[in-house]
Amino acid sequence: MKKKIAVYKVSFFIILLVALVTALYLGAYDFNHSVFEIVRTYFKTQTHTADSFVLIELRIPRILMAILTGAALSICGTSLQGLFKNPLASPDLIGITSGAVLFAALTIVFGSSVMHLLPPFLRYILLSIMAFIGALLTMWFVYKMATSNGKTHILILLLSGVAITALTGAVTGFLTYISTEEELRNITFWSLGSLAGSNWWKVCLVFIVVALGSIRLLTKGKILNALMLGEKEAAHLGFDIEKTKREIIIIASLMVGCVVAFNGTIGFVGLVVPYILRFVFNSNYNILLPLSMILGAVVLLIADTISRTIVIPAELPIGILTAIMGAPVFISILINYKRKLK
Amino acid sequence: MKKILTVLTLALVVASCNKKENTNAITDGPLTETTVIKTDRIISLNGAITETLAALNEAENIVGKDVTSTFPENLMATDLGHVRSITAESILALQPSVVIGTSKDINPNLNDQLKKANISLIMIDQEYSVEGTKNLITSIATKLKKDNYQPLLDNISTKIATVKPFDKKPKILFIYARGAGNLMVAGTGTPLHSMIELAGAENAAAALTDFKPLTPEALLTTNPDVILMFEKGLQSIGGIDGLLKIEGISTTNAGKNKKVVTMDGQFLSGFGPRLGDAVVELHNKIK
Repeated sequence: MKKKIAVYKVSFFIILLVALVTALYLGAYDFNHSVFEIVRTYFKTQTHTADSFVLIELRIPRILMAILTGAALSICGTSLQGLFKNPLASPDLIGITSGAVLFAALTIVFGSSVMHLLPPFLRYILLSIMAFIGALLTMWFVYKMATSNGKTHILILLLSGVAITALTGAVTGFLTYISTEEELRNITFWSLGSLAGSNWWKVCLVFIVVALGSIRLLTKGKILNALMLGEKEAAHLGFDIEKTKREIIIIASLMVGCVVAFNGTIGFVGLVVPYILRFVFNSNYNILLPLSMILGAVVLLIADTISRTIVIPAELPIGILTAIMGAPVFISILINYKRKLK
Repeated sequence: MKKILTVLTLALVVASCNKKENTNAITDGPLTETTVIKTDRIISLNGAITETLAALNEAENIVGKDVTSTFPENLMATDLGHVRSITAESILALQPSVVIGTSKDINPNLNDQLKKANISLIMIDQEYSVEGTKNLITSIATKLKKDNYQPLLDNISTKIATVKPFDKKPKILFIYARGAGNLMVAGTGTPLHSMIELAGAENAAAALTDFKPLTPEALLTTNPDVILMFEKGLQSIGGIDGLLKIEGISTTNAGKNKKVVTMDGQFLSGFGPRLGDAVVELHNKIK
């Protein structure tokens, strides 16, 4: 088994590398020189040519953002699924993403007077903190709704998610109705999702959050494995369940909120990636957590590269692609469920 | 107390940082204006701007355009699609010497990226009025150091001066259609509202602002004498017959008399150098 995991890890990494190199070279803009050469000349001269600008200021931050976002959404999905003991508990389905979107949209519409006063980095921090609060509130609400006597009712969990998403949709719709044009455009972006606005500031901020969050989440494999036995049983094994729950909920909200604040709603990644991995490794979270990060990065990087290149010179919203990839998997989960019910 | 103080100082620091940025921006302005803008490779991100460029004899220098740039038709430029989905990379791929667009079309992200890429960017505030159109033409021409723009302005003024006021202002309702399920009417603040008023008529939907969904009840209360549409819009709902089938339309004066006027979308709502001609044509069609 160990060997098998190592093989998977290595092969995922190789795929990620190949995807990364391909993504570097693909795009609306064709480079005159090799990527290596462009970077070298830039560091020598310290001034941008058109080549180096596209590469260093547009394409590389975007690729890094895709990798970080994919990894973050997947590991959050995996942890939440472990916590709720259900494969359907992904950030977008239970409404956390919508909560983050709502708060981000509110910040943009009502905070615009303050936002303009802030330098970019602080503006980004404010936006992600608000999205985090939104994610945390919905998460808390959904969790309280769905849990009684230490048992989570998956039906209530999903329906609360539906309710939150509907409410968020309504409020966001209302904001679009009352807001002025520039702000409105910012809101429509949330529902489609796009990595086009990535820059180094955003990448830095997301990197810090995702790195710290993932390091914490990666240590939760054992507890999540124990949780599969049931909460009481896990507690008898000596794990502090309540603390773990709080920790996972807060970290996942923070990561999802931060990612959503900059890239809008990118659905299905947190659902599909853990599900595919569970096919291969069953539900061993020690393996699922790290592998889901790598596979999530691969999936989102490929999706983003396709979204950038399929309709050159325009761009397809990435949410469309992840939904096309994700919806069939979602349906297959439902079919599996149905079989189990018989 | 300490906390409040820290917060206040932080806010002060932030505010002062920002002030610096602002002053920089102000000093940048005149500098870029004095530098000569090369016009050998132009990207135009607005139909009215493209028309203006063509009227200033710059048509062959346009290398990229957006989806609204439908006139002149024989432009050899790459179509970059809808202005809101255009990315910095596809703009840079055309190696433009200057990008011209309107400030309300271009999203802030793209704006930042282009600025950082050191591309000369001309942003124009487009206003849907005669004055606004003249300003648009004048500012493009002066930015590009062209001095042959006066005839364009005169042409607009003289054409519009020929429009005689109606004895009784007809009530016109503009309907924007993309298929029968998606119908909007144009209220105040839209280019269509200004066009209707310039043509000497009254906007039946003047009680509304911006584009609002069309409802049968609203149709009856506004009761327009003429329905105005884009040519493509009327096609999309199946011509006049399709329009009359829409609930409420046939009970209006316009529906009863089958008084439906169509014009090309960009010509009617573009507010470019052809504004005078468009106003005259609209006026004659609703007579």
